Amino acid sequence: MGKSPTQVLVVDDEEDLELLVRQKFRRKIREGEFNFFFAHNGKEALDVLNENPDVHLVLSDINMPVMDGLTLLNELAAKDRDVQAVMVSAYGDMKNIRTAMNRGAFDFLTKPIDFNDFETTIEKSIRHVQSVQAAAEVHDRLVAVKQELDMARNVQTSFEPNPLPASDHYDVKALIIPAREVGGDLYDFFFLDESHLGLVIADVSGKGVPAALFATVTQALLRAVRLKDYLAPGNCLTIVNDLLCENNPTCVFTTLFFGVLDLQTGDFKYANAGHNLPRVVKTNAEIEVVPKTGNIVLGVQPGHKYRTGEIQLTPGDTLFLYTDGVTEAQDNQNMEFTESRLDERLAKLSGASSELVVTNVVDAVHEFVGDAVQSDDITCLSVRFLAPLTVHPS
Amino acid sequence: MEEKAKLSVEAEQSDKATILIVTGRVDGSSVGILESAVQEQINAGNKTLVFDFKELSYISSAGLRALLIAARLTQKEGGKALFCALADHIAEIFEISGFNEILDVRATRADALEAV
Repeated sequence: MGKSPTQVLVVDDEEDLELLVRQKFRRKIREGEFNFFFAHNGKEALDVLNENPDVHLVLSDINMPVMDGLTLLNELAAKDRDVQAVMVSAYGDMKNIRTAMNRGAFDFLTKPIDFNDFETTIEKSIRHVQSVQAAAEVHDRLVAVKQELDMARNVQTSFEPNPLPASDHYDVKALIIPAREVGGDLYDFFFLDESHLGLVIADVSGKGVPAALFATVTQALLRAVRLKDYLAPGNCLTIVNDLLCENNPTCVFTTLFFGVLDLQTGDFKYANAGHNLPRVVKTNAEIEVVPKTGNIVLGVQPGHKYRTGEIQLTPGDTLFLYTDGVTEAQDNQNMEFTESRLDERLAKLSGASSELVVTNVVDAVHEFVGDAVQSDDITCLSVRFLAPLTVHPS
Repeated sequence: MEEKAKLSVEAEQSDKATILIVTGRVDGSSVGILESAVQEQINAGNKTLVFDFKELSYISSAGLRALLIAARLTQKEGGKALFCALADHIAEIFEISGFNEILDVRATRADALEAV
């Protein structure tokens, strides 16, 4: 592995350790495998360490003037310096050796020194130093990867829509709980003109960064084409699907639901690319499932024509869109939350604010799964149609 | 994870096709098992694959993607992939996602082998 010599600091107020080391390791020193530094007490040792950051192994006597070996151990621990210490003490000085071990020494040697044990201990300590260093490097790399994932998450979050202003006509709230730092779920909402509110929810196959990238591309494409034909959302999805299919060798796909609510009339037009069917929570607590359109996920079949469905909302109705992270959330026995539990919960939320609907559903899912690990993103989007809007021609 | 293997794929040769019996859950963490089982058959020159899903308990979107890739791979080799014996809740996932339109789904293994 390392071409550069292993740096070791030897601390002893008498010459015997230094002599032993120079003699025992003379070949390895000559061959550039080891490089030794020598100090005569703890204080000198700290100075050497300060000047030589590459020293990660210290071999130290315990009884020394100015600063003894046990104090040196304390100083090393306080410095948070990445150094392993092997203590050398008289045979039978078990009390000091115990203290040294308790202060974090890696190992100890007893005087008179057994040459073979000496060499074995040094080699074992160096292997330990190397594995600690390797672990630290892996840790640093993981921290860097984590930072990049956080940045990716920030980019993804920056595409999330801004909250809509409070209104007497509608009430919109979304909640996304990613299973990892970045996820494949997305939601979006936006005004297409002064009375048409667009709603999007999607779930990309797979997880992590690749899914998040595909989600972001899909969202951007839909935003770009949404104004083309928003009174027929199916036509928008037909265009987005063709664009996604143009270059998709890895067969990533996304389910997506795109709906447009006319706030003047309560008319809701939508298209569905293989996504879980949204619910309408009626004011009488009945749950209606938005009818199927029979279309497939986005990104796999070029030329596929997406149909536009249509339903009528009445004031007080809530539209609830969700991803399968809700209904397929599992508890420790691998039981799923299921659509029937979702519908049961939604029925209790008839007439509630969208904020309450999404938080309450997520709470119900969390309650159900208990301490089981969340394996998929959980996303909810709730839209309550409060009262028809009148648009005055200007 | 004290959990035992949650997915197994067993291959059975018939004179017309290779039958892959998929048992357990296909999700993001187990999909690799299915992908390599498919790749192994393709590498061995078996380009007609019948997936028997009688014992498939769950499939996530990552699993569906693997099926799509299997269909593409077999097609590229001049063969095909068929999927049969779906439990009701799996059939529902196929229907909602529209996969029953893109993939060749048959009711039983016998139906699938006949369609080869």
